Amino acid sequence: MTSTAAMFSYADTAWPVLERTAEAHRRSWDMLAAPGEWWTGAERISIAAECRRASALVDGLPDPGPGPAELPEAAVFAIHKLIGDLPNVTHDWYDETISAEGMSDARYIEMLGVVVHIWSVDEFHRALDIDLEPLPDPIPGEPTQVRPSGARAHGSWPQTILPEDLHESEADIYGGMERTSNVRAAMSLHPDSVRWLTDLFDAHYLSWIEIQSEQEPFRVLTRPQRELVAARVSALNECFY
Amino acid sequence: MLLGRNSEGNEALNLNGTVRNEVDSGIEHGDVLLRFSDAAVGRSDDLAAAREALSVAMGPDAVVDCAATIANFQRMVRIADGCGIPLDPFSREESAKWRDGLGIDNFRSRGNTFSQA
Repeated sequence: MTSTAAMFSYADTAWPVLERTAEAHRRSWDMLAAPGEWWTGAERISIAAECRRASALVDGLPDPGPGPAELPEAAVFAIHKLIGDLPNVTHDWYDETISAEGMSDARYIEMLGVVVHIWSVDEFHRALDIDLEPLPDPIPGEPTQVRPSGARAHGSWPQTILPEDLHESEADIYGGMERTSNVRAAMSLHPDSVRWLTDLFDAHYLSWIEIQSEQEPFRVLTRPQRELVAARVSALNECFY
Repeated sequence: MLLGRNSEGNEALNLNGTVRNEVDSGIEHGDVLLRFSDAAVGRSDDLAAAREALSVAMGPDAVVDCAATIANFQRMVRIADGCGIPLDPFSREESAKWRDGLGIDNFRSRGNTFSQA
């Protein structure tokens, strides 16, 4: 078993990566390896591996190979679409994807959660020319297959949970706030993905507390500088939202 | 929409500069920050030089902070477009004042954001 405790050591790199960032990356690998609600740990590792295959394909790099478990064909296609063809993701495509064999709306959201978090950690490494961290070994266990009972249609393609509809098992995902961001709500069909999103958002960008205040103790770029970069990244991805 | 919402109260930020390199963003070191962002997202051969230029201008801590910001929004855009998050009516109306001038109304994902608003 590969321990994540020894991973993400940035001491030998040229860059002063904060330990809190390294810790968040280790937690990401712990979350990746564990069984989820709708995918086993091995399947989640395979989703991450497919994410890297998609990236390598876009970049013209050698195929890093598949993960330990076979994925539904629709999942493989979706991962490549989300990485390499984002502007052409549409509502019709989403409907086709979640209706395909081996897929569902909840499986899609958990898959998306794995894709975007692994992609984000990898993108951090690529930007700094740091080798990608090897994927962890999967943790055995079966998916719980627990669907949040408060999920309803609220505008995004997948069902989402409003703060007032949270139940005890997911009561923490919006930090106890009466309102939440659309992005966090969009992932709420898989509550652990919201927790993951919040954790890595805090490490890479700003904590939700920092966003609402002027206190940004760990940041070097000013807020306008970060917002400039954020806007450019969104525009380069042709992300209208 | 993100860029418009974020520019509120930030008079220095020229929205045109966030999408067009020929326009000054009005942000200190905006040129090197955008060069690094373009190179990282676009996988260009300029990445190493862009990273060095940012490091010289702002220091290695800024390079790390910028890389983290890029990584964060490479994630956020995929959640937004992967879930078809709709734009609320207020933002839809307010953003109409400047959207067209930036060319973002031509983004394919506009249809996803507007389809359910």
